[in-house]
Amino acid sequence: MLPAYPYLILSAVLFTTGTLGVLIRRNPIIMFMSIELMLNAANLAFITFARYQQSMDGHVFVFIVMTVAAAEVAVGLGIIVAIFRLRGNINVDELDEMKG
Amino acid sequence: MTIPVSAADWIVINTELILVGTAMIVLLLDAFNRRISDRISPWITLVGVVGGLVSLGFLWGQEYTGFAGMLVIDSFSVLVKMAILFGTGLAVLLSVDYLRREELAQGEYYGLLLLSTVGMLLLTSSANLIMIFLSLEMLSIALYVLTGYARMRPRSQEAGMKYFLLGSFSAAILVYGVALIYGALGTVDLAGVAEALTAPGILSNPVLLAGAGLVLVGLGFKVAAVPFQMWTPDVYEGAPSPVTAFMSVSTKAAAFAALTRVLVFAFSDLSGVWMAVIWAIAALTMIFGNLVAIAQNNIKRMLAYSSIAHAGYILVAVASANQLGIQSIPFYLIAYTFMNIGAWAVVTVITRKGEEGVGLSDYTGLFWRNPLLAVSMGLFMFSLAGIPPTAGFTAKIYLFMAAVNANLIGLLIVAVVTTIISAYFYLRVTVIMFMHRPSEVSAVHVPIAAYVAIIIAVVATLWLFLFPNSTQAFTEAVWRMGL
Amino acid sequence: MDLIRNHILSILIFLPIAAGIALVIVPRRYAVFIRWFAFISGLVAFALSILLFLWFRSNMAGWQFEEFAPWIRVLPRVVEGETRYAINYHLGIDGISLFLIMLTTFLTPVAILASWRGITERAREFYVALLLLEGAMIGVFSSLDLILFYVFWDAMLIPMYFIIGVWGYENRIYASIKFFIYTLVGSLLMLAAIIYLGLQNPAGLTFDLTELVAADIARSVQYWLFLAFGLAFAIKVPVFPLHTWLPDAHTEAPTAGSVILAGILLKMGAYGFLRFCLPLFPEASVHFAPLMIVLGVIGIIYGALVAYSQPDIKRLVAYSSVSHLGFVVLGIFALNIQGIQGALLIMIAHGLSTGALFLIVGMMYERRHTRLMSDYGGVWRRMPFFGAFFIIAALASLGLPGLANFPGEFLVILGTFAAANWVYALLAASGVVFAAIYILWLYGNVMQGPVEKPEVEAMRDLSVREAFVLAPVVIFIVLLGVFPGVVLDRTAVSSEAILEQVRPDESRTSLGRGAWAIEVRGIGTHALRPKTDSPQPVPHFLVEGGEEQ
Repeated sequence: MLPAYPYLILSAVLFTTGTLGVLIRRNPIIMFMSIELMLNAANLAFITFARYQQSMDGHVFVFIVMTVAAAEVAVGLGIIVAIFRLRGNINVDELDEMKG
Repeated sequence: MTIPVSAADWIVINTELILVGTAMIVLLLDAFNRRISDRISPWITLVGVVGGLVSLGFLWGQEYTGFAGMLVIDSFSVLVKMAILFGTGLAVLLSVDYLRREELAQGEYYGLLLLSTVGMLLLTSSANLIMIFLSLEMLSIALYVLTGYARMRPRSQEAGMKYFLLGSFSAAILVYGVALIYGALGTVDLAGVAEALTAPGILSNPVLLAGAGLVLVGLGFKVAAVPFQMWTPDVYEGAPSPVTAFMSVSTKAAAFAALTRVLVFAFSDLSGVWMAVIWAIAALTMIFGNLVAIAQNNIKRMLAYSSIAHAGYILVAVASANQLGIQSIPFYLIAYTFMNIGAWAVVTVITRKGEEGVGLSDYTGLFWRNPLLAVSMGLFMFSLAGIPPTAGFTAKIYLFMAAVNANLIGLLIVAVVTTIISAYFYLRVTVIMFMHRPSEVSAVHVPIAAYVAIIIAVVATLWLFLFPNSTQAFTEAVWRMGL
Repeated sequence: MDLIRNHILSILIFLPIAAGIALVIVPRRYAVFIRWFAFISGLVAFALSILLFLWFRSNMAGWQFEEFAPWIRVLPRVVEGETRYAINYHLGIDGISLFLIMLTTFLTPVAILASWRGITERAREFYVALLLLEGAMIGVFSSLDLILFYVFWDAMLIPMYFIIGVWGYENRIYASIKFFIYTLVGSLLMLAAIIYLGLQNPAGLTFDLTELVAADIARSVQYWLFLAFGLAFAIKVPVFPLHTWLPDAHTEAPTAGSVILAGILLKMGAYGFLRFCLPLFPEASVHFAPLMIVLGVIGIIYGALVAYSQPDIKRLVAYSSVSHLGFVVLGIFALNIQGIQGALLIMIAHGLSTGALFLIVGMMYERRHTRLMSDYGGVWRRMPFFGAFFIIAALASLGLPGLANFPGEFLVILGTFAAANWVYALLAASGVVFAAIYILWLYGNVMQGPVEKPEVEAMRDLSVREAFVLAPVVIFIVLLGVFPGVVLDRTAVSSEAILEQVRPDESRTSLGRGAWAIEVRGIGTHALRPKTDSPQPVPHFLVEGGEEQ
C-alpha cells in the first residue's frame, strides 16, 4: 500500500484550501462549503491514520464528524435562507450593521 | 453482541439525561399544543434545570468515569456544571418576558436552550478529544439558531450568520487538530494523550505540535481570547439579550473547563510550549478587552468586551497551572455567572421592544427612576471590576494568589493595571446611572421573573463574597482531577 | 455582657451596616423617622465605642478584643498545632486603633445630624451610604488580616464615591471619579504587594499581620513592598505630590462627606503607615524616612501657602488639611516616640478641628448658598453664637495652646528636632505660623468687619440642632487640648511597640499624665542603657505630679 504521506498531504491541501476559502470568499454558501471542505480534510486524516495504525478508532471518529457536519449544514442553510428572505441578497460584506 | 453499559455510565450522564428529557418534553409539547406550550414551557424548563442542579448535589464530592473514559465526573466538573446550570436557569427567567415582548416563539427557544446546555454539560465532563468536539458542536449549533432567533431583526440575523461562520470555522480547525494528534499519538483520550506524551522524543514531533496548536486555536475561538475574538462583540450585540447572557457565561464556563483539562492534564508535558503562549494570549486579551471597552457607547458591546477581558483573567489562572490556579477557575466561573447575568438582566429589562435603548445614555439617572435596578447594576459593575465587597473581588484574589504562587509577576502586573483601566468604564456606568438626572422620570417596568433573576444574582454576588467556602473546601480535591 | 465584650468589634462594624440595610426597607416618605433612625444608630455605635474605651487596658501590650474566624479556607497550614488557612476574619485593636474608632463613631452621628436639613433628595439612600461607610471605616481600623483590611479599605471607597458624586456640588462627578480612581490605583498596587507579601511567610501563604510581622523579609523586597504600600497610603494621607484629588473631593462633597473625608478617611493613610509599613518593613521605613520627612515638610508649607490663596472657603480648609497632615507624616517618620505620639494626637485633633470647620462652612452654605469668602463679611454681628464656635475651631486649627492641635504639633516638632536636622523642625514650626496667617485671614474676611451684603443681614444664628452638632466637637477640642494624656496614656504602649519593631535598640521615652507634664528622656542618652553618642539635645522638663512609665 502507499505510504501515509500522500494522503496526509492531500488532507493538508484540502484543509488549507478550505481555510483560504473561508477567509477570502464573500458568499456565505461558498464559505460554508469551504468549512465542509476543512471538515472532510479532517475525515481524510482520520481515516489515513486509522489505516496506518491498524485501529478502528479513526473510522468511528469519521462517523461522528460526518454527523456533526450534517447537523451544521441543516442549521447553517436555515440561517442563510432566513437572511435571504429578509434582505434579498447574501454577501458577508454587506452584513456590516455592526462594526466588527 | 451487546454493548456493555455499566451503572457508572448512567451516573455520569445523570444531569444531561434530565435536561435532555426536559428538552424532549418541551419540544413535544410545543409540537402538539402551541398555546399551552407558550405559557408553561419556561416553567417546565426551570423544573428541568433545578432537577439538574439537584442531581449534581448528589454527585457532590464523588468521582466517576463512564463510557470507556470518555466522560468523567469529578469535583471540578460538578462545580462548573453548577455554574452552567445557574446560567441557564437565570437566562430562562430573563427570557420569559423578553420573548413575549419581542413576540417570538417560546417552545422551540427553550428546547434549544436546554439542548445547548446539554452540550455544555457534556463538554465539562469530556475526557476525550472527540467528545470535546462533539459536545462543542452540540452546544454551538443550538446557539447559532438562538443567536439568530429574532428573525425579523437584521442585527440578530447578522449575528447569527457571523457566529455560525466563526463557530463552524473554529470547529473545523479543532477537529483537524484532533486528527493530527490522533495521528501522532494514536489516541484521543486525554489520559492516553498525557501518557503518550511521556514517551521520549515525542515532544518534537511536528505533527503533534501542529495538532496541539490547532486544538488550542479551536478552543481559543470558543473562549473568545485574542486574537480569536473578532466578531464576538457583534454576536453579543446582535443576539437577543437573554441569549447573550446565556452565551457569555455558560459557554465560557464549559469552554474553559475543556481548555483546562486539555492544557493542564493532557498537555502537561508540553507545558514548556503552551505556558508561554497562554501567557501572551492572556496578557493580550486582558489589555485588548479592557482598552476597547472604554470606547463603547452601547452597553451590550461594552459588556461584550468586558467578557473578553474576563476570559483573559481566567486564562491567567490557566497559565498558573498550579493547585491554586485550578481551584480558582470554578469559583471565578460561578462568580462570573452571577455577576454577568445580573448585568445582562438589567440590560434586558431596560431595553425596549426591538432592542431599542441599548445605548449608555439610556441609563441616565436610573437611580432616580428605579433605585433597585440602579443599585443592582452598580453592584454588578463593581463586582465585574473586582472591588470589594463583591464576589468578583474574591474571584480576583484567588486569581492573583495563583499568579503569584506560580511566579507570574509580569502577568500579575498586567492584570492589576487592566483592572484599574476596567474600573473606569464600569464606574462610568454608575456615574451615568446615579449622578445624572434623567430627562423623563418614567418608571421602568420590571417583569417579575426578571426581578427574581436580579435578586438571585445580587444575593449570590454578596453571598459568594461573605462565604466563599461553599465552593472552596470542595475544590481542594480538584488537583487530582481524575480523568 | 460577656458576649458583647467578646464580639464588640464585630458589633461595631456590622451594627451600622445592618442599620444601613434596614433603612433601605423603610419607605421614603417617613423622612423624620429615617433621620432619627440614622442618628440614633450612630449614637449607639458611639456608646459602644465608649464601652470599648472603658474596657481598654492601657498597660497591656498586644491586641485587645481579638476575634478570629477562618474566612477563605484555602491552603491549610499548621500553626502551633492547629490548621490555619490563608485568609481569616481577624480583628483586634490597640491604643492607636481605639481612638481612631472612637473618632469614627463620634464624627458619624455628628455628620448625620448636620445633614438633616442639607440633604433633601434621596435622603434615605444618603444615610444608608453614611452608615455603610461607618461600618467599613471601623473595619479598616480593626482588621488584623491584610486581605480583610484591603476589603474594608476598598469597600470604603464605594459609599464615599456615591456620597460625593450624587449629593455633592457642581463639579461633583469629576471630583468623585478622580477620588475613586486615584485611590484605586494605589490600592490595587497595594493588593499586588499584599499578595506577594503573603507568600513571604516561610510557613506558607498567610495574610495575618501577627505572623507576617514575625517573618523576616529581605531588604530589597522590603523596599519594593514599602513603596507599593506606601503609595496607597501616601495617596490617602495625602502626601505631597499625591494630594491633587483632595481639594476637589473635599470641596465638592456635601458637608457630611467632607467631615468624614477630612476627619477620618485621611487618617487611614497615616494609620496604614503606622500599622503596616513600619512593623512589616522596618529597614525600608528607616531607609525611606528622610524622603518622607522632606515630603512632610513640603506638604506643610505648600498646603499652608496654597490655602492662603483660596477664595473658596472649603478649598482653603481642604488645603489646610494637607498642611496638617504633613505634620502627621513628619511625626511618623521621625521614628521616635515623640513623633509618633504627636502624630497620633494630631490625627485625632485634626479630625475634630477640621471636622468642625467643615461643619461650620456647611452651615454657612445652607444659609447663603455660596462658599466664596468675598460673599461674606461681618457675619459675627448676625451670628454671635456661631462665631464663638467658629473662633474655637479656627484657633484649634491654628495650633493655639490649650486646644486640641497644640500638644500634637508640639510633640511632632520635638520629634523632628530629635530625629533630623534642625532646619526641618524650623520649617515645620513655620508651618504653624502660616496656619495662623490663613486661618486668621479666613476668619477676618468672613466674620469680622462691617456687614456689607444684604444677604448676610438675613443670616440667622444657630438653631438648636446645629448647636448640638457643633457643641460636642468643640467640647472635645478643648478637652483634648487640656488633657491630651487621656489619649497619650493609652497609645503609649502601642507606639512603643511599633518603635520596637523599627528601632529595636532605641531607648524608650515616656509621656505621663497631664497636659503640661511631659517628661522626656533623651534619645540615645538614657541612663539605663548606655549608648553611643547622640547629636541631639535633650529637652528635659520636670513637673510635679508627672508619672513615669
